[in-house]
Amino acid sequence: MAEKIGKHIAIYGKGGIGKSTTTSNISAALAEAGYRVIQIGCDPKSDSTNTLRGNNYLPTVLDSLREGNKIHLDDISVKGFGGVLCIESGGPVPGVGCAGRGINAAVNLLQELNLFEEFKPDYVLYDVLGDVVCGGFAVPIRDGITDRAYVVSSSDFMALYAANNLFKAINKYAPTGGAKLGGVIANSMKPGYHREIVEDFVAKTGTSIAGYVNRSIDVQQSELYGKTVIEAKPNSAQADIYRNLAKYIAENENLVVPNPLGSAELRDWARNWGDRIYDIESGVVGVAEAI
Amino acid sequence: MSNVIRNPRNGCALHGALQTVQEINGVVPVVHANAGCGVINYLANGGASSGTAKYSGFSVPGTAAQERHVIFGGASRLREQIKNTIKVVNGDLYVILNSCESAMVGDDVDAMTKEIVEQGEPVVDTLIAGFNGGTHYGYEHVLTDILKSIDNVKKSEYQKNSKLVNIFGIIPGKDPYWQGNLDEISRILEGVGLQANVIFGATGSYEDLSNAKNAALSIVFSRWGEQPAKLLEEKFGIPRVIRPSLPIGVEGIKELVASIKDVIQLDEDKLLSFIQKEEIYEKNLLRRVRDEIIENGLSKKAVIVGDEEQVIRIGGFLTEKLGVEITAAVLTDALKKDEEHETQNDELLKHISNNVYKSVDQKDINDIIRGSKPEVIFASALETRVASKLDKPLVEISYPIVDKLIIGKTTVGVKGLVTIIEDYFTVNREFENAKRDRLVKELKNETGNNQWYEKEDSYSRVRSNKGLYIRKQEFSVSNG
Repeated sequence: MAEKIGKHIAIYGKGGIGKSTTTSNISAALAEAGYRVIQIGCDPKSDSTNTLRGNNYLPTVLDSLREGNKIHLDDISVKGFGGVLCIESGGPVPGVGCAGRGINAAVNLLQELNLFEEFKPDYVLYDVLGDVVCGGFAVPIRDGITDRAYVVSSSDFMALYAANNLFKAINKYAPTGGAKLGGVIANSMKPGYHREIVEDFVAKTGTSIAGYVNRSIDVQQSELYGKTVIEAKPNSAQADIYRNLAKYIAENENLVVPNPLGSAELRDWARNWGDRIYDIESGVVGVAEAI
Repeated sequence: MSNVIRNPRNGCALHGALQTVQEINGVVPVVHANAGCGVINYLANGGASSGTAKYSGFSVPGTAAQERHVIFGGASRLREQIKNTIKVVNGDLYVILNSCESAMVGDDVDAMTKEIVEQGEPVVDTLIAGFNGGTHYGYEHVLTDILKSIDNVKKSEYQKNSKLVNIFGIIPGKDPYWQGNLDEISRILEGVGLQANVIFGATGSYEDLSNAKNAALSIVFSRWGEQPAKLLEEKFGIPRVIRPSLPIGVEGIKELVASIKDVIQLDEDKLLSFIQKEEIYEKNLLRRVRDEIIENGLSKKAVIVGDEEQVIRIGGFLTEKLGVEITAAVLTDALKKDEEHETQNDELLKHISNNVYKSVDQKDINDIIRGSKPEVIFASALETRVASKLDKPLVEISYPIVDKLIIGKTTVGVKGLVTIIEDYFTVNREFENAKRDRLVKELKNETGNNQWYEKEDSYSRVRSNKGLYIRKQEFSVSNG
């Protein structure tokens, strides 16, 4: 494989956890800092780059593939905020076909179109849907497409469960040239024990936290305006959170192969936290004591 | 630990289903798969005797699914293909065959079939995918699936026929002699006053599928015929007789008839008269070759390789009638663990050989053959190389048989017994002749041409006499 142009970063996480919001804000922050950025939404919903391009229509790669016509980069990409090149892989309608194969085909097509040689990006971010449910969704972390992956997770058990699944996939593919883990992006952080849960999880799995993103009204408001926080509220504290996160991701070279928890281990770990949270919420002990 | 399987002689379930469906007159297969799935079956079965059906090989209608049908689903492509097939190909029944990719993607094949059926077209489908099993599984399940749904699309009268007998377990193509064997089974059943519902080949048709529910009995000739017979038993109360193999010789016919008599009544006079005729025929033919069998020393040590049914039928005959000692038998259709079938032939197989193996791996099979030190090998074209290396004759009895044209020849009943003896004798004689020719050539080189010519002349003179005498002559020449 030819030498990679730019750093290729995959961002995973459970559905609805805030992957697209986080990825778009990282892209916007990197663009704002003067980098050339491509964001590729790997999700049949094809809404990853919405806030970067003001909700404007963008045909997906797979829509174009379905038409069967010759595809040009211009047909399937549009420049959004700060010149971020937005691309959506797209996919079948829900309940039909194979979305996993769709991602595979879309990524292959982008390589055939010499996207990276043409655009010469500094950073390419792949926003990959949901859990790693089958081989197709592991494509961005396989075959040397990306060399690093991040996972967005809240302190909810199901979000951490999805993160653990990604760790399993990385653990499987890293030895044969797949991506390694850059860290966990702790999203939707609320005051209290939430940080501690995520911190305990990363400690148990031999990984690290890339950054904390607090729950904020600025995020919700910017999204309703069809913009990233960086664009809509550049002076807000939340924008700085994303800028710091972007900086960390841009510079971080501490990539690891995680040690995912086994099913029983994860269940016991969660149950243990369940007991502790109950004690904290019912006021039996304080946060510090519980931890 | 995983191993390489060399020359696995069985295809996937789709292949089994395809080679089953394409041999039923009036039935048109429609394969919902990428272009290679259907064609590779044709290429793999590329013997002189296969791929002869009207819609087989390159003529099989199919969706030729591409990547976009995997990503976005291939159901609408299937709908289009069914409609187009019905427009351009005349069929009495269309059978949709599913594939691995369609099954993995989850194409709603049933919905497409239902839609076309509602428009009045005779279409049935099977949801088995290639990865569900092998060729034998494909045969068994496609037949069961068709029988399950044919009444919904081809209305036919339900009228019991006390003479009609369904024949299951003979897989077109997997039994290289399937057409002749079906013909012979039909002749035998007719001889005892019954009528065979053969479904496949020159005398069968889609009507036999509709008619299967009217039969008085189903006979299952290998484990792979159990499921369709079971379905008909459960749905229409048709009793089934499970045989370990097709019959060979008069004794085989007698055993078959006895098991039929346990279930339905037969005309005793007709039965006796038929058996008597068969006995006279067999005796007469065997008398003619008796001396040849003894003189040519056909009671050799042998290895037999083939599907279980073939091993039981042909192996049993060789041991019991020709005094062949089977040092090893290899079953090429046996599952390591078979929980789907009732058939249990272990005891029977023990009588054929002390060493019964299950394998489709050419390396295993070759090792078994080498280790068993046979004087003759009864197997398939795939064993040609090992036979040649061991310098032993090979009698081809199981799939695949490549260089021999088999259209209507049978290895069943009295005629089948004759076929086996004929083939065995011919192969053995040809082998001995070739060996002798080699020896002659070697001697020519050793003794110098002039000296040899004289001897060759005397050798030629005796050549027209008995083989035994020729070998003696050779011996004296080689010592001289």
